[in-house]
This record gives sequence, C-alpha cells and structure tokens, in this order.
Amino acid sequence: MQNIQAEIIRNDPELDDYSVLELHAPHVAENARPGQFVHIRLNRLQDPLLRRPISIMLAEPHSGTIRLLIKKVGRGTELLCAALEGGTIDLLGPLGNSFPLPPEGKDVLLVGGGVGVAPLIFFADVLQKTPGLRSARGLYGGANENQLAVWTELAGRCEEFYVATEDGSAGEQGLVTDLLAEQLQRGDAQAVYTCGPRPMMAKVAAMCAEASMPCYASLEQWMGCGVGACLGCVVPGTEEAYLRVCRDGPVFPAEKLDWDNVI
Amino acid sequence: MTAPDLSVKIGDLTLKNPVMTASGTFGWGVEYAMLADVSALGALVVKATTLRPRDGNKPPRVVETPAGMLNAIGLQNPGVEEVIKQKLPHLDKFNIPVIVNIAGDSVDDYVAVARRLSETGLVQALEINASCPNCEEGGMLFGLDPASLGGLVSAVRAATALPLITKLSPNVTDIVPLARAAVEAGSDALSLINTLVGIAIDVEKRRPKLGNTTGGLSGPAIRPVAVRMVWQVAAADLGVPLIGMGGIMNATDAMEFILAGANAVAIGTANFVTPDTINKVVTGLGDYCRRHKVCRLQDLVGAARP
Repeated sequence: MQNIQAEIIRNDPELDDYSVLELHAPHVAENARPGQFVHIRLNRLQDPLLRRPISIMLAEPHSGTIRLLIKKVGRGTELLCAALEGGTIDLLGPLGNSFPLPPEGKDVLLVGGGVGVAPLIFFADVLQKTPGLRSARGLYGGANENQLAVWTELAGRCEEFYVATEDGSAGEQGLVTDLLAEQLQRGDAQAVYTCGPRPMMAKVAAMCAEASMPCYASLEQWMGCGVGACLGCVVPGTEEAYLRVCRDGPVFPAEKLDWDNVI
Repeated sequence: MTAPDLSVKIGDLTLKNPVMTASGTFGWGVEYAMLADVSALGALVVKATTLRPRDGNKPPRVVETPAGMLNAIGLQNPGVEEVIKQKLPHLDKFNIPVIVNIAGDSVDDYVAVARRLSETGLVQALEINASCPNCEEGGMLFGLDPASLGGLVSAVRAATALPLITKLSPNVTDIVPLARAAVEAGSDALSLINTLVGIAIDVEKRRPKLGNTTGGLSGPAIRPVAVRMVWQVAAADLGVPLIGMGGIMNATDAMEFILAGANAVAIGTANFVTPDTINKVVTGLGDYCRRHKVCRLQDLVGAARP
C-alpha cells in the first residue's frame, strides 16, 4: 500500500454514465489482487474533500497499468469521469482484501450487476491466466442494454457467459438471479463470487445459502480513511457487530454479513 | 540559523513539537505506519476508549459535506481491557508520547478507565472526551454544562496523576465557562474543538444520510469556527495550554490556530485526505519559523491577538 501519483493514460467514456480510466501505477499493478481497491483523491482542492474507493477492474503488471470502471453517481465520480488524459491522480492502494482463489477442479460462478462487474473482470482475468485453474462462468445483469457497457470485458474472460436485462434488450429478459438459479440447478459449480447492487447480492447470498454453495460478496460503502482507522465504512456482521469494508473486506464470505441490515 | 525549537509542554509532558492527531481519525497509529512517519508526531492521540466494548452506531457512519464530512461512529472500541492488551503494547515502537481519549456513560466509567490506563505505564496523558456528539448517554452531555463538566474532570483528576486534557464541545452558546470549569477542576490542558452537530438528508430517499441521523461535522468547513473558539478561550487567559483543532489541512492552517492562541494543534480529517499531513505540518511549522526568523514556535502563540 502506497500513496502515489498515477498518470492518466486513457480516459474512455464508454457510454453516458460510465468511464474507463487507465492509469500508470506500477506499484498497484504489481501488487493488486482481484477484489482490492484504490482510494482516489478527486482534486488538489478541499472540496469534494474525501477520497473515493474504486475497485480495480484490471491490472497489468508488465505495463504497470491498472484500469478502473467509474460510474457517474455524484459529484466525485463525475470529476473522475472528466479527468484529463496526461494528468495525474493521487491514489492510495492497493487496499482491502481479495477474492479467495478456488482450488483446482470445478468451475466458479461470477455474478455481477451494473458497475459491480469491475472486480469480477479482474478475478476472471486472473483465473484465466493462472495455470491449473478452471475459467469462470460469468453471469451479468443490468436494467437494459445501455448498462452493459463493459460486460464484454467479462465475457471475453469467461468460459461461458450469460446476460439478463430487465427489459430484454440484451440477453434474456429477467434478473441475473434467474440466471443464477439455472446455474445452481446444474450443480457443477464450487463457489459463487458476486458484486453489484446490494439487493441483488442479498438475493445471491440467500440462494447460495439455500444451495449450500460458498458465496463471496464484494461490498462498497461510504468511506473515510480507507485503511481501517476511522471505522466509518462498516457493515453489520453475523459474528461481529460490524465489519470494516475497507480492511476486513471489501470481500466477505456471504454468511458473515447480516444481509437484512446491509443497506 | 539553528533548527527552530518547536517543543511545547502539556502539564509535565514535553512534546518535541506541537503536532498531534485528533482522536478517532488516526486509529491506533499502526494503520498509518506505511503511509506516514508516525514517530515524527509530538504525540499520538488514539481512539476513544470506554470501560466496556462498544459496537458503535449503525451505518452509514460517514457522509461527505461541502469541504467537510459528518461522522457518527459512536465510539466503537473494544473496551479498556482489550485496548491495554491488544493496542497499547504496539505503540512504544513509535517512541512518542501516547495520549488516550477516554469516554463513558457515567462519571464512574471515566474514573475506572482513567485508573486502568494510568496503571499500565503505557500512556503518557489522558484526554477526557466530554464532547462526543454521537452518543445518547454520555460524551457530550457532560460537556454542555459547566457544573457537570467540572464534576467529571475533578473525579478523573483524583483518579490519575497523568497530565489531563479536556476536549471541549463547540455545541454551546459560550465555550469559555466550560473551559474555565475544566481548568478549575484540575485539567492541565484543553483540546478544542470537537465536531459540530449536523444533519445531511438524502432528498431522493427523503431520509437522513447517516444511520444515526445526526453526526459531527469536521474538515476545513469548520476551521473558522474552531479558530474563533481558540481565540475566545485564549482571551480568558486560563493559564493552561490550548490544543487547537478543526479542519487543519496544512501548516498554514495550523499557524492560524497558533496565532489565535493555541500552543499545540491536532490533525483530524486531513489524515483521511492526505495520510502524511502530520509530517507536512511538522516540517511546515519549522519552515515558517525559519522564514519569519523565530527561534521558538511558542513565542508566536497568540501573536495575532491585539
């Protein structure tokens, strides 16, 4: 973990509300594991004040670059999406824990929704490149085809890939959890990894618990320090009252979270 | 010119420089060990510690506001016995004074925590948290009324020989009577200010953004208020050192507090934004002294005052 100034190599506005930032950040690229995040300062001014935690979408150790998927949800992410190529970004990272690697053998299921697909892309990339490990099966859901901006990044790294949209404009009409139900019935997967909107992840967690399937969820939360000091980013747990998303997570075994109160 | 003297005395304790951390914003110091030179601090002020473990408030606990943030952590901590076992033994590696912020739901709680911490020999001073805005029972209730604050400080004073700092709440009409009550009850120094109570509302959801509804406002947004309160308490000339805090982001901001009458400063929210702010402020205060040809930083305390 270091505080570094990363050069912005590319800023691709994918669609209206997404951007993919490519940064030169060798320390992060070499050390990052799937699921980890960087904590980004938005500008050198004092407003907006706090850093923004952003999942690492891809890391390329040989080129020293990382890619981040940014969705415009407020003032901070709008500034990031408007960041200029050639400029620098102040970031802390890599931070947090990572998705546990599965043992050799059966497939894993990656269940993503919306911008939550980012850490799953990194995970699928590592699975694909790690000898001895089976590739992943990807399931992705969005409201409509416009939200599927980067699903191709996930699709290209998965052995099988399925899409669902609520309006049926791409893939099957329905929810990503409908796709998961079919996959769980096949009975040949060994674990589920999920990241996306909380209601989606809560449903995924419940379905996995029902099927006695190990499930790992990556969470986001408003954050202060990003390094475990301020206790600002907690979520309710089942064994401990609260868990820090920045330090105990962002990846949690689903059964460690009190999903009824994860809002 | 030789290196300027940045040292300051808090009770019997001499700090090599006046830069401290604000309780709760720097964890136990160890969280920042890879990002900042913690040993360069004048003193490390660690998280609020209570007699029994506290889970803290329900999330969300932090929300950004213009040039600031609201927090409602709720004094989450493992309780004094775990703090003594798990946290304090790791802090001697920094080789700087450790100050523990103490909080409680009753005077007896504060006294018990102060007594336990004093016995360990691992703590060089205590800061009484009489101003946490995020707890129903204790914390701020003691800090709003001079008589109850005086009672609390006297009781803790009787329980410890360590230098005693009282952290004051800004959520009062006049902070001076509270400052005076704390000093008359035996406080060796005053920290000011704690956070200002605020609320932020999510207009789409039509609900408060924080799980606790109210939170404490910190960051650059509150700095002028904090500087004004340091100014007012300094004017009362209570004869104890003042530790100024509230939105200090750099050495220039720290100098505002010192020129207003603070003998020392604490860095809080800035730790989240720039983790090595503490180091930049220490360096910057020395640079300021050199630039202004001042040998002792303490000679500048209150220098903006008429």
